[in-house]
Amino acid sequence: MATRKPSTSPATPTTAPALPRTAYVLGGNRIPFARAGGRYAQASNQDMLTAALDGLVARYGLQGETIGEVAAGAVLKHSRDFNLTREAVLGSTLAATTPAYDVQQACATGLETVVSLSNKIRLGQLESAIAGGVDTTSDAPIAVSDRLRRVLLDLSHAKTPQQRLKAVARLRPKDLAPATPRTSEPRTHLSMGEHQALTTAQWGITREAQDEVALRSHQRLAAAYDAGFFDDLVTPYRGLTRDANLRADTSLEKLAQLKPTFGLGLDTPATMTAGNSTPLTDGASTVLLGSAEWAAAHDLTPLAAVVDAEAGAVDFVHGIDGLLMAPVFAVPRLLARHGLRLEDLDYVEIHEAFASTVLTTLAAWESAEFGRERLGLDGAFGTVDPARLNVHGSSLAAGHPFAATGGRIVATMAKELHARRAAQVAAGDDSPVRALVSVCAAGGLGLTALLEAA
Amino acid sequence: MTAGPTSGPTSEVVLPAVPGLGGLYGRGVVASARSAVAGGARATSRGLPDVAYVVHDVHADADHLTAYQHLLHEPGTDALPAGYVHVLAFPVAMALMVRPDFPLPLLGMVHLANRVEQRRPLALGDRLAVRAWSQDLRPHRSGTQVDLVTEVRAEGEVAWRGVSTYLAKGVRLPDAPRDETPRPDFTPPVRTGCWELPADVGRRYAAVSGDRNPIHLSPVTARALGFERAIAHGMYTASRALADVGAARGDAFVWSVEFAAPVLLPATPDVRVAPDGDGHAFTVWHPRSGRLHLSGQVIPVP
Repeated sequence: MATRKPSTSPATPTTAPALPRTAYVLGGNRIPFARAGGRYAQASNQDMLTAALDGLVARYGLQGETIGEVAAGAVLKHSRDFNLTREAVLGSTLAATTPAYDVQQACATGLETVVSLSNKIRLGQLESAIAGGVDTTSDAPIAVSDRLRRVLLDLSHAKTPQQRLKAVARLRPKDLAPATPRTSEPRTHLSMGEHQALTTAQWGITREAQDEVALRSHQRLAAAYDAGFFDDLVTPYRGLTRDANLRADTSLEKLAQLKPTFGLGLDTPATMTAGNSTPLTDGASTVLLGSAEWAAAHDLTPLAAVVDAEAGAVDFVHGIDGLLMAPVFAVPRLLARHGLRLEDLDYVEIHEAFASTVLTTLAAWESAEFGRERLGLDGAFGTVDPARLNVHGSSLAAGHPFAATGGRIVATMAKELHARRAAQVAAGDDSPVRALVSVCAAGGLGLTALLEAA
Repeated sequence: MTAGPTSGPTSEVVLPAVPGLGGLYGRGVVASARSAVAGGARATSRGLPDVAYVVHDVHADADHLTAYQHLLHEPGTDALPAGYVHVLAFPVAMALMVRPDFPLPLLGMVHLANRVEQRRPLALGDRLAVRAWSQDLRPHRSGTQVDLVTEVRAEGEVAWRGVSTYLAKGVRLPDAPRDETPRPDFTPPVRTGCWELPADVGRRYAAVSGDRNPIHLSPVTARALGFERAIAHGMYTASRALADVGAARGDAFVWSVEFAAPVLLPATPDVRVAPDGDGHAFTVWHPRSGRLHLSGQVIPVP
């Protein structure tokens, strides 16, 4: 055989980066979150997403830029918004040549856009991306009843006057009643709160513990605003400068006065109130992602790497696990892949769907029995120091516009990780700084991600 | 003729098609009135008609199947849910109950229990043969009960076999001992969900199943027959429970249910559908009174 000189194949140009490469969070921007029926009552999903995008563009000087791809979504979305994200891009100051797509994974939508776009960057398919999410419960789509919809569809397919008459004749007055979107699970017809009430009772979580989580969330979010932490993360919108749900002056006494709203029919005392559950909220968030090369070319500082992610799901339909407990299973798998324990994390962000969601998650991880029987471990998965948990407050204080929550958490954490790492390095400590992000979602879903300070 | 071994009565009557239930109820009303005049609240005879009704070449219709699947929350695949096969086949058994020599009055009969054995899944396009008969007339603590057996064959093999147990309240068999078995106590378990059953769900299931028994249609027609409001069809509730078990039921299973207090419409009963032994158990009850509506199991058959 003839000896060949090693040569570079034309299919693999020498300029190609080694793949997979690292995808970084470069920044974020959101609008303050409003309570349903509040300041954003007249704003649509597209309005709010465009506002959040434009804020991001302005903050990072991206006017007229073609971004690799924008992915965002809304949980409550009208069928006319089939291309919501693309329409928001077209209305924004980004170049009209920026592609976009919609994502929907219930409350995990925002985090999933971060994960999927990061993966595209890691694979070299994208250099830059914007992840996002938006939701409005004030401007929620209202549909016609199934029977009216069927009649209208049959009417549009009818070819003869007789067929049209026959279709219309099926209508009854009550068919004209509108169908409003619901937050109950399609298969169990229980609201998320009623589902969580079952999990709360199962784990014996007290009212006091839940109220403490709520209080800490408000206090920490208020402190972060007061310290100016959100100055470069939040752009005022429609006269709102802070999250409207934030109650800086709330107290355990005030929270204790609220009447329970979920779990009233259970044998155990009802513990979940409007104070320790997230309210319906309107808002939008965005996260800027990119490769190291793209960041350098745009004079942007990588804040944190999106290291890995793990999704999970539970069978809540047959009562095997609580509706919002999927992250309890996903996180041990995620950390095991990296040889990490809960105690190795500098920050843990557990989306506060309800205060008790955080507490039942921690209780499951602290249970040796659960660790052995359900997680396949030798004992308990581990504990989370409250000082590392939701350090700048979470959804109980900020509110939770479903698809916007992932972007809020990732942008907040990326900034915090970067600041912490810079302080550590300045003090001569070069150890990695890591954050876990965990978001539970309808349908028994959960999405978790690992971030590491850049 | 059907191939393979048969069970039940030896004599057969082949019907040209599955009878319409509406017409059967009409005849049932007449027959019930006649038996009331002739025999009062007593069974007209001790014996059941020794005949099986047979219908060849029964098949599902795609739009009808879709309507059933949407109403019962079943996935919209081409597989026939076991409750849908009941809808297709049961009118053949009902035709037996309106025979003049059937010993119990059709009107006012209460569906006590149902047991379906699905031996293999059936699908849209399958040509089915239905054979139905009655058996095991026996006393119950509040009357007389009877089993209606329906077998559905595909390619000569029994693929589906249903046994529906009905009670004629207040009807006593001559010289029969009373069954004094007490009602078991019931404590509601932890719910896994609830059902939202609108007032018209009886009419909607009636439209899909053809079972237009007046007790299911409206408060007025139900009151005429002694119910405070319209009540949900037992098989509607049992089939919803089967749908809640979902794909975990597998291809071959026994689905059994016992009906207790009727579900007065509209209703939001609490439901538990959860793994139990090899299969799943389901329980449906009234959330405030804690009264049991139905309970049963779906157990896989190896």
